[in-house]
Formats: sequence, structure tokens, C-alpha cells
Amino acid sequence: MKEINIIIGGPQGSGIETSMSILSRAFTRKGYGIIASREYFSNIVGRHSYIVMRASSEKLPQSIDLPVQIIAASDAETVFTHFDEIRGGGALIYDINNEKKKLNEVPSMENITKQRIRRKLESKGLDQAVSSIIEYLRKEEGIKPIGIDFASILSELSKKFKLDPGHLSRYVSTILVSSISTVIGLEDDYLLFGITSHFKNRENILKHNLALYEMVSERLHSMKEILPLDTPKLKIEKMMVLTGNDAVAIGKIVGGARYQAYYPITPAADESTTLEKYGHGTEGNQDIGPIVILQTEDEISAISSTIGAALTGARSSTATSGPGFDLMVEALSWAGANEVPIVITYYQRGGPSTGQPTRGSQSDLMNAIFSSHGEFARIVISSGDHEEAILDAAEAFNLAEKFQVPVIHLLDKFLANTTASVKIPDIEKIRIERGSIFRNGGEYRRFDASNSISPRAFIGDDGIVIWYSGDEHDEIGHIVEDPENRIKMYEKRMKKLELIRKEVPLNEKLKVYGFEDPEFIIIGWGSTKGVAVEALESAAKEVGVRGAYVNLKMLWPFPSEELKEIVGKISEKKIIVAEHSYEANIARLMAMEAGLNVGGKIVKYTGRPFFLSEFYRALKSILFDNEEKVVLTLGA
Amino acid sequence: MEHELNYRTDLWIDWCPGCGNFGILAAVTRAMKDLRLDPSKTVVVSGIGCSGKIPHYINVNGVHTLHGRAIPFATGIKIANPDLTILVHGGDGDLLGIGAGHFVALGRRNLDIVVMLHNNGVYGLTKGQASPTLPLNSKTKGLNLPNIQGSVNPIALALASGYTFVARGYAFDGNHLSELIKKAIQHRGAAFIDILQPCVTFNDIYTADFYRKAIYKLEGEEGWDPVVREPAETEEKILRAMRKAMEWGEKIPIGIFYENPAITTFEDRLSDILRGSYPKKSPSKSVIEKDGKSIFNAEIFEELFKDFIIEVKG
Repeated sequence: MKEINIIIGGPQGSGIETSMSILSRAFTRKGYGIIASREYFSNIVGRHSYIVMRASSEKLPQSIDLPVQIIAASDAETVFTHFDEIRGGGALIYDINNEKKKLNEVPSMENITKQRIRRKLESKGLDQAVSSIIEYLRKEEGIKPIGIDFASILSELSKKFKLDPGHLSRYVSTILVSSISTVIGLEDDYLLFGITSHFKNRENILKHNLALYEMVSERLHSMKEILPLDTPKLKIEKMMVLTGNDAVAIGKIVGGARYQAYYPITPAADESTTLEKYGHGTEGNQDIGPIVILQTEDEISAISSTIGAALTGARSSTATSGPGFDLMVEALSWAGANEVPIVITYYQRGGPSTGQPTRGSQSDLMNAIFSSHGEFARIVISSGDHEEAILDAAEAFNLAEKFQVPVIHLLDKFLANTTASVKIPDIEKIRIERGSIFRNGGEYRRFDASNSISPRAFIGDDGIVIWYSGDEHDEIGHIVEDPENRIKMYEKRMKKLELIRKEVPLNEKLKVYGFEDPEFIIIGWGSTKGVAVEALESAAKEVGVRGAYVNLKMLWPFPSEELKEIVGKISEKKIIVAEHSYEANIARLMAMEAGLNVGGKIVKYTGRPFFLSEFYRALKSILFDNEEKVVLTLGA
Repeated sequence: MEHELNYRTDLWIDWCPGCGNFGILAAVTRAMKDLRLDPSKTVVVSGIGCSGKIPHYINVNGVHTLHGRAIPFATGIKIANPDLTILVHGGDGDLLGIGAGHFVALGRRNLDIVVMLHNNGVYGLTKGQASPTLPLNSKTKGLNLPNIQGSVNPIALALASGYTFVARGYAFDGNHLSELIKKAIQHRGAAFIDILQPCVTFNDIYTADFYRKAIYKLEGEEGWDPVVREPAETEEKILRAMRKAMEWGEKIPIGIFYENPAITTFEDRLSDILRGSYPKKSPSKSVIEKDGKSIFNAEIFEELFKDFIIEVKG
């Protein structure tokens, strides 16, 4: 096989993330490109959690796909939930102690899900036990069942190291990854590297896990390399393996962030954890940061203190998701009125209200662009993948400081929680542009209206006194309600939008992938990029149509002219948008700002990611079957 | 600074004649003058309402923020530049109504900021609605019906939240108030002054006349010592301050209720977790670029983020 897709599932808290980390590291060590998405409930322990991983010997994969070749299930719920997501000829790794388990004996599964699965089993004439599913998969789908006695392996381990039986469940993840590694014929060294680098500095746990790996691979001797994966052909010597949250944190550190305030919220909080870990200290002779990370009492305080820090000249940011952003919008308006450069990293999740806190969405586009009272200039940007997220997180500060506006970096749960292997970004390319700064001495007017962008001085600068006010103010910053002053200050602020349109380079507004002379165009933003670009490749290869993908990077001010130029002569019917929402809001924005209409929409609002094959099918039905809107639903 | 500093701007002050805010403005500028605060290193941060306008009348850095949010704005400013002296001015609605969560959070942090509560019992600028400090059943003249919400005790709340300097002043006892403000500024840690302030237009119960009769000074009480001199005294001093905080009505104490210099400030705590690099290198005072480029080169980058980097050994 050139590439492999894998599901690893089990109860939340049982080490599914550990499995993902170990396997990602093992694959990358050997030179495969990987991408892995993580699905989980809003729950600490017990609910069904799983990852979908794709490893490729030929490329850095940009999307995940179903069905998979291997499912590794630590519990019965995983078998019930995913049994129809495995390809014929694949392998199902499971615990033989679960064979007798019946669907109604899975308390953690939602009733509505149970009913759905029961119907599925009935339609295939299966009774409701794991054993019946396994038999069916073996006979009807040619799937190799790989039953492992988890309990006996763990008890052997427990005896060998005198482990507390109560702690054995934490070793389950190693049984799963060891089995996967054996089945695809990954040499010992790589999985051992994965285990070692994941558990480094934890000597005992490392020792136990290494022994466990030996035990599993010995028991599965006959299964060795039954689904062999080709030797990797990528010529990359070093890769980064990281999540989207990590990518943003790294970008902020390199970009000179010095203050981040946040209130804990999924799926944004992990970014601040990474910042805390790497944002201070020294490396060689270089001082890092320090970046002060403040966990505030709420999101209002997070953005307000971020603004306060920015007034002193520190590069300041906050990170949140939809519910938290909603609390921030009054202060966002203050930042707009006072021309304060701040960065808000906004990870969308499923709404409205609490919605689906751990699932993905792109339904907050309009919220990011239009929230807050009054009119003011802001910039909204998005990133298509991990590498972009690193660079954009740094660039967001440049945009904020050059134009003295709040910048919203709009991301989503999919990117935040997806682990990927990427090339190490070219750090030397990262610029730090602080914009116009007051250095003349003498009388200072913070809102000098002779230019849309007034030179910034910082609170605390010697010999300077500065006023800010959320009220309409004069050039000094004092409250003034005079109509002529109102016009002057209003226009000064609003004219920034024109300036931003003019000065931001094209490649920060949008990027085009695929053919230069396309027959159709997909337009999207954020994490849609990967799946769309790969669907274009499939379309070219399998049905011979040339497509292009427009990755809209700057969503506000909207790059209308640039987009119109690219869309050019393509007929309306061949313009397709893709978005994780019901409405495909990007189509509305295009109509509103650029007068562009679209012929097709690919949307999904289950909260689960786009899978390559379903996306490709949707694309074909729009291109060839005159479908106008395809709603995707794949994924448990 | 050699020359005499003028801490007042020349803007016309649009508070009602006789407003308690004039007394507070006079006391705070006098404290600034006495301490010779450098205007460029001093910041007045305010919320919304009549008290919110005070930064415009003072000739130091002024940040007139949102309703209830003066404390979080001030928190960001102070953490990012710990060399600054920060004075927060807020109303009772500001600090104890819409912004009460921030008020509590500042106490927990013990960040070195002075918070002054312009406490007049009403929402003046919106025509006299009941504020969080107006007692239950009071019917001030802006109200159609008596107040059916109870009042919060600012001193008790500050003590419970962890403020390490807690005092009360009176807007029209300028000397006393400016001395309190000076002590609050000199205190390291979160300082709170509850300033009783008549609202001549909307509060016809808590008038200047009422306060003149009711208030008395704690420092005149025999044996009153609000300062925690060793950690073992903390509980006792807080309890005594709490008891004093309960006095209201015919006799209202002003002065210092509680002062504890021994609790670590937020700046100290940051310095600990950031291994001493803070506050010498604060967010506003550390290098982020060299000639327009990031301070990171490929080598430092790869070393710092080595946990994420995997060398391929295929």
C-alpha cells in the first residue's frame, strides 16, 4: 500500500491521544507523512473517543479519509460504532474479552446512537454482539479479525513489574499501537522511537511500555506485515509533528507575542498551555520571551487586559472559541475605537450556544466579521493548515500593528485538534513589522488625524502623556462630541479598510492551488483547504477535469477584486464553495462584497471533518449531476 | 522633575455642582503632587459613568474604558509594564455590579494596583437607578418604588477577595482621603479605597449632611491597628476589619481597615514562575526583533521546539 488509513478508538481518558502521539512519531521517524484528526465528547472519562489517521509513503497528506484499512478497538463501543467504516481486506484489532458484549451493554453510548446502530445490525441480519459483527466482517468483507487477550497481556505485565492492577488500563494504548505497527510491518525501531519520545523523562513507564511492545509483537507474530505499507519516498530529513493549537502557539512565540490572556475553553485552551511551556527561558544565548500568560476570570477580562497590555507596546493576544468571543465583542469595539493592535485567535466549534463544544464548525464567519456595535476597521484572516497557522499567527501581529486595528485569526476545532507532520517552516522569512511609532519627542497626539495611521507611543514612554477613551474623542484622546470632529475621526478610522485592501500583499489575501486554466473553481477558507486540494487532484487523475482551489486567507476586508480576477471567465455553475456550515456563509459574503454567485455548495454540519472520498463524490455530483448543494454526513 | 507639576488638565469639568467627585479629584491630584508621581509613569484607568470621566481631568496617562472593565484593562497595563503606578477609578455599579467578577479577581491576584470606588449608591448618569451599594428598601428620589435588592458590603467583599490594603474615605474630607490614597499607592499589592460620595442630584438619603454626622475615623479609636505585622496576626486582623465593616447607619467608620504587606504580589508570583526574567523583562520591555526580523533563527527555533521535531531515519 502507498498509504494507510487507521481508526483507533476507546473510551475518553484511556490513552487514545497517547496512541496518536506514539504512532505519529513512529511513522514520521520512518519518513511517512501523517495527518490525524481527533474526535471526542465534552467529557473527561468514559465517552467514546477516536482518531482517524492517514499515513502516506508519497506525500504529506492533507486530509483524512474513510473507510480505513485498520481499526484498533480497545472496547466494544468502538467496534459497534465503526464496524462499517473498515474496508474489505482490512484488519480489525480488538480485545477478545469483548466478543460476547452486546450493544445494550454499552452504557456510555447515547441511546439515539444505539438505536441507529441496532437498525444497521438488523438490516444486515446480525445479532447484537461483538462476535456477530466480527464474524460478519470476516465472512462478508474479507476483513482479518485480530483478537488479542488484553487482560492476559496486562496481567503478565503486571506480574513482571509488580504493577498496581488499578493502573493497568493506562497501558491499553500501547497494545493498540504495537498491534498496528506489527500488522503494517513497521520495524521495531520506529515504534520504539515513538514510545520512547512520547514517554521520555518517565523512565518506569517507558520501561513497561517497551516490554509491552515486545509481548504484543511476539503474540502477533503470525500477523506480521499482513497489510504492508510501502517504504516512504518523501525526501524530507526533518519534520515537525504538531497540532493546530501548537502551531499557533509557536507562531506567536516567534512573532514576538509578550502577553496572552485567556479563559479556559475548548478548543482554544491547549494553545495557551503550549505558550506557557515554551514562552520563556533561554535557548543557547537567546532569551525567550518571557510571555506572560494570564488565565483570567472570564473572556471579557481576557480581551480587556489584552488591550491594556497592547497600550504599553507589548504584542498581545487572546485565544477563545465562539461563546468566549461573543463575550469579547464590546471590548473589540473599544479596540476598534481606540485603534489598538490586538490579536484574537478564534477557534470555531459547533454552535449555536454551547452547541457541540468538542466538534468542529466554520459557522462563525459572519460573527468574526460583523460582531460589535458601531463601524470600525478590523482584519479577519484564516489559515488553511498547520504551516500556514504558524506563519499567520506571527503575521497577525504585523497586520495589527501596521494598521492599528484588532485582528481576528479565525481557525476551527478541526485544525486545532488535528496532528500533522509538516516541513519545518522557514523561520528566517518571518518579519516583525511594528508599524508607525512615535520617536520625535515633543507634543504627542495619539490620534493625530493628519493620517489614517497615527504614530503610536506607548503608555509609560518617557515624557509623554496619552489619553484613550471609548467615547468619540479628539486627537488627544479626550471626549469630544462636536460633529466636525466626529467626521474627522470616523473617517480616519474607516479609511483604514481601504488602506488594508491596498497594502496587504496578494499572497496574504488568497492563494490558488491546482490548475492555472481551471474548468471549475472551489472557493473556501481555513481548514477546508486540505480536503479540497486533494479532491482536485483526484478529479484530475480520475475523471480528467482541471480544477483550482482558492484559499481565502483574508476574509475582511474581503479581497473582492482579487477574487473576481481569479474567477474571471469561469461560469457561475462551475464556482463551488465548501464550508462547515448550513448556509455556506462564504457564498453570501462573496455575493455581498464581490457580486459573485456560486453554482454549487458542499457543506457539512455534523461537527465531524470532511473526509476526502465524500468530498470528492460531492464535487463530482455538482460538476456532473447538476447538484447545487451537497450536505455531507460521514463520520461517527 | 524640577518644576511644579500640574496634575489637572484644563478641560471644563461637567459633573453636577456639589458632586462628590470634585472632592475625589482634588484628593487624588493632591496625592499625586505630594508623591511627585511622574505623569508619564502614572495611569488613571476608569470605567463608565460620572466617575469614568475622571482621567480626562487629570494630567497623567488616562484610559477611559468600558462599563465594569477598568480593572481588567488596568491589569493588562500593569502586568505588561510593572514600573507604572496604576489608579483605577470606578463607580459602585462599575466595580460591584457589572464588574464585580473583576473586582474579586484583582483581590485574588494582589496585583499592585489602587482601586478607588466612587460609592454614591446610585447610577447617576442614567438618572438615579439603585446601585449595588444602595441598601434594601431605600427609596432615593430617582426611584419610583423602594429598592428591593440588597446591598453588597464593599469593605467585606474586598477583604474576602484578598485585597491587602482596604480602606474607606469620604469625598469631602480631602486631607484624610488624600492621605489614604498616598498610603494605598505606596502599598505593594492590591489596594482598595471605598470612597463615600454624595450624589447631589439623585441620592437624597446619603447626603453630605448625613455623612458629616455619621462618619468617624478609625485612627481615632484607641488601640486600632489594622496592619498585619506577622503572618500569625492575619486572621485576627481580617476578622476585626470585617466586624468594623459591618458598621453602617448612624456610625460609619473611615480610615484603614486592613493592611497586609506580607502577601506576595502578582508581580512576585510571575517572577517566580518565569524564573526571574520578570519583571526586569516585562512584556513592554523585551526585545522581539532585530532589524525587522524575528529574534529566532533556524537553530534557536529547532532547539526550542525540539519536542515537535523528528529527524527522519528511514
